[in-house]
Amino acid sequence: MNVSDLTSGELRRQLKKTGIFLQTGSFVTHLHTSIPSVADGIELLYQDYPLADSHGFVDFHVRLTTPLNIRRWFKPQVFFQSDGNSPFTPLPLDQAFPMFEWGLNWCVSSHANSYLIIHAAVIEKNGYAAIMPAPPGSGKSTLCAALINRGWRLLSDELTLVRVIDGKIVPLPRPVSLKNQSIDIIRQYAPGAVFSRKVSDTVKGTVAHMKPPSGSVAQASEIAQPGWIIFPKYQAGANAHLERQPKARAFMRLADNCFNYSLLGLKGFETVANMIDQAMSYDFTYSILDEAVEIFDALAPPLST
Amino acid sequence: MNMRWRALPELNLHARAWDDEFVVYNSLSGDTHLLGSAAAQILLMLQQAPSDAIALAESLAPRLQLESELDEELAEQITHLLSDLHTLALIEPIRL
Repeated sequence: MNVSDLTSGELRRQLKKTGIFLQTGSFVTHLHTSIPSVADGIELLYQDYPLADSHGFVDFHVRLTTPLNIRRWFKPQVFFQSDGNSPFTPLPLDQAFPMFEWGLNWCVSSHANSYLIIHAAVIEKNGYAAIMPAPPGSGKSTLCAALINRGWRLLSDELTLVRVIDGKIVPLPRPVSLKNQSIDIIRQYAPGAVFSRKVSDTVKGTVAHMKPPSGSVAQASEIAQPGWIIFPKYQAGANAHLERQPKARAFMRLADNCFNYSLLGLKGFETVANMIDQAMSYDFTYSILDEAVEIFDALAPPLST
Repeated sequence: MNMRWRALPELNLHARAWDDEFVVYNSLSGDTHLLGSAAAQILLMLQQAPSDAIALAESLAPRLQLESELDEELAEQITHLLSDLHTLALIEPIRL
């Protein structure tokens, strides 16, 4: 059963009364909320996602609530709770859906230590994953959004999960987070894409989330092999350009972008080293999305290079 | 003074090499270091046995395909590398 099998009324009733058991990749989130904007976001962007068995194992128990203090009458806020804890200070109620997305990222990046977790977008073609680690503002999510609208499969726009046991990339396709000018750039680039409404004045500026392609959600259990590690950088006016990156330096940059490299100790070192062995490493500069897509489509499989 | 050095006795290193660069993981500290070929070779040699800059230069010169008249310059560079490796808490001077 998928979210889309529930009517709008049923979805809202369940979110409010019992919560829903949302399957995203290999994680199940028990989500409880009566906040209408969160229900709107779930209904719009998560309709292709399976609903898990309510008696099965749950990874994260998440509640989004409105604090019952005097502020609710003039400046209402939203609280994010995970397993009964409140890891964040409350945000304005208007930011409830983005807070759900950010909070769920936090749940995964803080707890899923059977994976090496890289702050990187990751997409797949022909079984090989292109991993794009980059700090905020480098255009990683914009590039990722463009590529998944041109035939690449979304594994994640934010968290690359590398299984420590065998080095495979495990998908976690969720809505793609876009901010500021990127929202309209991708709207024009992919007119058929579905977006949540824009939310202004967040810590990241104006944000909106793009619904992932249905095919990426349907293939969420299909793992991939590390193929390419590509450090992207948007640079106004630049021609799209791929440049080989020495592997040892790529190692250090990749490790720098991991959430739990130090925590995993020697396993973290070996997991990164094995990825570097298998994948080709590049720096990538771009300004025009079509040029970027052309270069990605021409990437040679790593074993043949 | 030509100081003698050794790798930290309790050091448990894991290294991978790509091209002429090494990435070394120190299980003792949890730190990861990017080392050039010369620094990595010095570290590996000191893990085998204590040594000093001049002896290390003599051993390294043929591997780096250097002429013998450059040995003094090489010994100076090695002194700097030894200082760097010491700062990274990978080696220590032997106090007599």
